[in-house]
Amino acid sequence: MKNIRNFCIIAHIDHGKSTLADRLLEATGTIAKREMKAQILDSLALERERGITIKLVPVRMDYTAKDGQKYILNLIDTPGHVDFAYEVSRSLAACEGALLVVDASQGVEAQTVANAYQAIEQNLEILPVINKIDLPSARPDNAKQEISEVVGLDASDAVLTSAKTGEGVNEILEKIVNEIPAPEGNINSPLQALIFDSVYDNYRGVICYVRVINGKIKAGQNILFMANNITYPVNEVGVFKPGFTPVNELSAGEVGYITASIKTLAEAQVGDTITDADNPAKNPLPGYKKVKSVVFCGFYPVERDNYPQLRDALEKLCLNDSAVTYEPETSEALGFGFRCGFLGLLHMDVVRERLREEYGVELVATAPNVIYEVVKTSGEIIEAHRPSDFPDPSEIEEIREPYIKLSVFMPSEYTGRVMQLVQDKRGTYKSMDYITPERVRLIYEMPLSEFIVDFHDKLKSQTRGYASLDYELTGLKASELVRVDILVNGEAADAFSFICHKDAAYNRGHAVVTKLKELIPSQLFEIPIQASIGRRVIVRVNVRALRKDVLAKCYGGDITRKRKLLEKQKEGKKRMKQIGKVSIPQEAFLAFMNVDTSEK
Amino acid sequence: MLILAKNNGLYIHVPFCEKKCGYCSFYSITNKTDKINSWLEALELEAKKFNGSKITTIYIGGGTPTVLNISQWQKLFDIIKNNFDIENLIEATVEANPNSLTEEHLKFFRDNNFSRISLGVQSLNDNELKILGRLHNSSKALKAMELVKNFDFNLSCDLIFAIPEQNLMSWAKSLKGVLNFANHISTYQLTLEPDVPMSKKYNYDDFNENGYKFYRYAQYYLPKKNFIQYEISNFAPEGNECKHNILYWTQENVIALGAAAVGYIDGVRYKNPETLEKYFEAAKNNFPDEFIEYEILTPHEKQIELAILKLRTKWGIKKSELLPEVEAVLNSMPSDLFINTPEKISLSKRGMRLGNSIWCELIDL
Repeated sequence: MKNIRNFCIIAHIDHGKSTLADRLLEATGTIAKREMKAQILDSLALERERGITIKLVPVRMDYTAKDGQKYILNLIDTPGHVDFAYEVSRSLAACEGALLVVDASQGVEAQTVANAYQAIEQNLEILPVINKIDLPSARPDNAKQEISEVVGLDASDAVLTSAKTGEGVNEILEKIVNEIPAPEGNINSPLQALIFDSVYDNYRGVICYVRVINGKIKAGQNILFMANNITYPVNEVGVFKPGFTPVNELSAGEVGYITASIKTLAEAQVGDTITDADNPAKNPLPGYKKVKSVVFCGFYPVERDNYPQLRDALEKLCLNDSAVTYEPETSEALGFGFRCGFLGLLHMDVVRERLREEYGVELVATAPNVIYEVVKTSGEIIEAHRPSDFPDPSEIEEIREPYIKLSVFMPSEYTGRVMQLVQDKRGTYKSMDYITPERVRLIYEMPLSEFIVDFHDKLKSQTRGYASLDYELTGLKASELVRVDILVNGEAADAFSFICHKDAAYNRGHAVVTKLKELIPSQLFEIPIQASIGRRVIVRVNVRALRKDVLAKCYGGDITRKRKLLEKQKEGKKRMKQIGKVSIPQEAFLAFMNVDTSEK
Repeated sequence: MLILAKNNGLYIHVPFCEKKCGYCSFYSITNKTDKINSWLEALELEAKKFNGSKITTIYIGGGTPTVLNISQWQKLFDIIKNNFDIENLIEATVEANPNSLTEEHLKFFRDNNFSRISLGVQSLNDNELKILGRLHNSSKALKAMELVKNFDFNLSCDLIFAIPEQNLMSWAKSLKGVLNFANHISTYQLTLEPDVPMSKKYNYDDFNENGYKFYRYAQYYLPKKNFIQYEISNFAPEGNECKHNILYWTQENVIALGAAAVGYIDGVRYKNPETLEKYFEAAKNNFPDEFIEYEILTPHEKQIELAILKLRTKWGIKKSELLPEVEAVLNSMPSDLFINTPEKISLSKRGMRLGNSIWCELIDL
């Protein structure tokens, strides 16, 4: 046990986590150079395309240190994104140390801080690493200074490295051996193994990635999943060499995997403790919790006939990702689909991408939204997923919505613009400090609903990509929200109702009715379109009555041809949804849902 | 053989053109004038099927009937004379185009009792004619109209509106210009089907309102000149309506001859083979049924169609002729689309502009 080192790499997106991991694999001879694909551990196509890493596959490296001893180095990755804060905490709990990678030219970014704090909280030994020192713009001293000033860690002897050239990699390996503590634990205590990740395999069922804290685990043993109280006999235990390599047993301090013909991920949840069914530990390891979706959106097949295909794909995907929730939903514009819940925006993108890449499902996704909590005058509290879930305004005592604490790191010249942007999104100022004379950290509190719509894109464009952000959920807060209803020709069109802050109701109502005016074709009569809060109309526009339709030559008595043209015209109308006497085209519903059908 | 004793219209489709216009999606072929004689032979065979039928109106359309020379016209006329009973003929129209119409043609038409020339003027603006891909210019059109007038024919002119680059002034000029000669005007909005050459350059969707101002102006101006809008596309002083076309709007029989021609006989609509080659093949086999597309209207379909057709005209439809479901739909529409009397219903000016939307609600009742 004393020669085992369990560590992870924490870094802001793009600071070179994957490349550094590749160099470590190479330097320890775990993978020969010729077998290296660039960034071998990134498994999702989405990750490769965006050059970001959500989660690396764990890997075990054998390393002979300068002291002549052989060490086992287990690299356990943490998902570098706030959506997966819970998974991050569980991965960190499986380690004794962490490499904190900071880009030598970019310095400390928002996620660096969030992740470093988590590691500190878990009592990990943190080794600062300044990466990309080969770049001409590298300013390693500044990066060191930022680590000490912003994160508060001593970075004076940070390793200077270039994962690209390999410089400093051996120094990192030595530091891992010398500075990260060996695991502690008792081989003879009852088994306690932490599940820090789990994946689904079509042939073997769920594969649990575990860190054994106490005791031992081997094939044939009956194990108990303590959160779910389910027992399974172990089929196989093994380590990541990389790739699954069976071993006889895993004992305290070791990192590996187990299979036990477990059918669903829900049975072997991240954070749960595995113990010996015949000699169970008294208590599970601390920190387990059930993850809850915070961001929701509708997924619909592009072709309506492909609904069963989407359903099957979601079912299979959930075997692999227990954090996704879904329930059937129908939409007037899109037909049958699913309302899906995610840990955050990136998680949503990942799931969508996987459905496309791995299951070949082309889908449209509606704009994301959050869950509101409505306190009724009767005292009853209900969860509202969509506008139609909201009771009549007279029955509402209070509406609460999820809030986040947002931190944005950026060059100081953009401060004004970013503050404006955040304030437009109902953000409340908390604090601002200068990391260096040129860089600023802003902390705001803002509603999650405002954050998820297009905040990230707007932030990027306002700061030309120089800002980085991080957020954490801070809980529910009462807000002055209203439901805005849209009336088309006097009839309520539920599909267009939306929830927003009362101060934004006019502008958003105006935007919606204007868009509808543009998209609803003129018909035989004038169509008023109104936005209202309760019975109070706040905006009204009219779709002008149709003035003329085509008069083509109806030639030589070919009335059949004329009829076919009319049928075509009628067909177009049939594809529209009738609300009262008014035909509304699908595009109107799509525009309202802000549906994204673009190919990534 | 089918002898139709009651009064019938006769339509002959001449599928030849000197040049295909950029917007035209009707069947016609160019540079195949050597096929005209074979076509006449085939036509004769087809006419024999109806030998002895009574004809009251003749309409020779196309295509461009005036690409036929005089001897070919003689042959065509002989086919009509030899196969049909034209004793009670009240109207005979030839479609002509200003580029190929000659004095010789007109002499022949007069000598053979044709009463009406329908001239494809389309516009009196040279730029618009060029955009449409017509072979004539405005002065040629004016000369042709004058010529027709000198021969004392009834003259109908076709005019197209919503042409790219057209404006209300040029439209007004075209209308005024043809009024000096014509006693019947047909106005059509330019529509481009996807397969016509002009649609590569211009994008017109089915729903466009481009024609509104032009059509509205025609509805304002022509009645002032005593040209009554007696049908959605047609204007004429009372008594000068096209008798042949009225047969279509009232669901009367029209025998149709020639490739791609469409006829209607006692509730059955038929369409001849679409191309000249197939038409020749059909002729060789004496026009068996498998070459011809038949559409047999059920009594219900027939009544729906009658409502749609009659509503195109100023005379409208008698309420006694309306199916209750049709009447219910019409009643559910804005009342300013109709002129409603206790006995009958017809379209108002606004209704005429919105015909398609009205028919759409009726076609699949």
